[in-house]
Amino acid sequence: MTLDILTQIIASGLTLGAMYAVSTVGLSLVWGSLGMLNLAHGGLMAFGGYSAYYAMGALGLPLPAGLLAAILMGGLLGALTYHGAVRFMLRQKAFETNVVIATVGLAFVLENAVLKLFGAQAQRQPLQVEGAIQVGNVVVPLQNILILATALLLMLLVALLLKKSRIGRAVRATAMNREAAQLMGVRVGQIYALVLMLAGALAAVSGVMISSLTGLSPGMGADPMLKAFIICVVAGLGNVYGAVSAALALGLIEALAQFVLGVRFGFATLLLIVIVVLIWRPNGLFGRQQVTRL
Amino acid sequence: MSGGLEMANLSAGYLGRDVLHELSLSVPAEGLTAIIGPNGHGKTTLLRAISGLVPRCSGAITLDGRPLQGLRPDARVAAGVVHVPQGDMVFAEMTVLDNLLMGAYLPAAARSAKERLEEVFALLPKLAERRGQIASTLSGGERRMLGIGRGLMADGRVILLDEPSLGLAPIVIEQIYALIAQLKNSGRTLLVVEENAARVVELAEAIHLLDDGRFVWSGAGAELMARPEILETYFGG
Repeated sequence: MTLDILTQIIASGLTLGAMYAVSTVGLSLVWGSLGMLNLAHGGLMAFGGYSAYYAMGALGLPLPAGLLAAILMGGLLGALTYHGAVRFMLRQKAFETNVVIATVGLAFVLENAVLKLFGAQAQRQPLQVEGAIQVGNVVVPLQNILILATALLLMLLVALLLKKSRIGRAVRATAMNREAAQLMGVRVGQIYALVLMLAGALAAVSGVMISSLTGLSPGMGADPMLKAFIICVVAGLGNVYGAVSAALALGLIEALAQFVLGVRFGFATLLLIVIVVLIWRPNGLFGRQQVTRL
Repeated sequence: MSGGLEMANLSAGYLGRDVLHELSLSVPAEGLTAIIGPNGHGKTTLLRAISGLVPRCSGAITLDGRPLQGLRPDARVAAGVVHVPQGDMVFAEMTVLDNLLMGAYLPAAARSAKERLEEVFALLPKLAERRGQIASTLSGGERRMLGIGRGLMADGRVILLDEPSLGLAPIVIEQIYALIAQLKNSGRTLLVVEENAARVVELAEAIHLLDDGRFVWSGAGAELMARPEILETYFGG
């Protein structure tokens, strides 16, 4: 009985954590590279979720195409964020504040575009796998396992990209010292655009994951974005590996809190933990000093 | 126009104020050219103007006759400008090896990165020993060597060194200058900026004294040594 409860908590905690990790890594990369808080992240999640919905529902495409549609849409919106707004603000002194306002604007545009295109009523995400497996006496839906596996695969790919590839090395170098990276021949604008595209694609995938459990609605990204921010802050802004660990840990804690204290205390517990962590370690658990963008 | 790095009527600076005033300078295709002068008089700005990092810049800069002005910094690297910046601008949280590979970031350099890496390791065996170490854990002298080694990875036409001896212990300065002498003897084009004239004077074919954004004296190293009053005026003896 107790073992079953523990299995249940771990299963749902890992699923939550995996979804959080995918969306948090994008936010964290963008902060680490550009020093930019992207408040359109939630809008990107919703757009990703609806892209899969449209590709599979209206166009009748198979599951992988639904996921691909979300990834492409997220990447496209990330590129638009850079070329439509961010690049014009990079040299401004008040970049941090200006760009936050720009992303708030983008968030409104995205949410209203979803409203206009798909309406306000909630929809079911067609990107689902049926069935479940039995772990002890606990039934774990295959959907949860798919989410966990996709998340792990994506995290592995992002880690390989950052660690092993030439372009990933340039992303890290630019985050560490923008000017030195330029002196190596790195075209910083290209790197920023790439980071925003990657973050957009990850947000879109996490939007598909979240909506497959909770359904689609135009404002569906608001809560997950807030949680992604919380995880970023707990991990230390800009720390990608820390963000993944913190996401999994907080997913497990939320699942535990939901079981022990009841569903509506899950989020409240997360916020309490953030406060404690930030009093104890003002730069987050794995935090380092501020990024220097210019 | 001859080979090498040429500047004509170069003015450059920051936020509405010029630090350099209509400089002209010719860095011959072979050998070592030194720019000396007191701190805060535009030496670093001059190198930054060449590599494209200053927001305000007018006049002409050419490398082997090809104009550099108006190009983005990355295009200037592709054209052959290697700028080893002042201080330790290594990528602190990367390994020594990753730092070096960043030096060969552009496709042309990346293709021959392996051979170049062997060259750099042969020249700087310390870096080979520490290839897996995080750059921030290196000593000051090792970091300086890493900065220069990273610059060599780009396989550029001209190497700009900004105060290679700054903040190092005398014995380490000896090592760095032994390295610079080796680079010079291997036929590379070097433009070295130093506040402290002592070491660079022995190696330089030509020396230019930069004061308040203008060249106030130019000549060979031996000539400068024969004019103690110049050193006294600008460096307080």
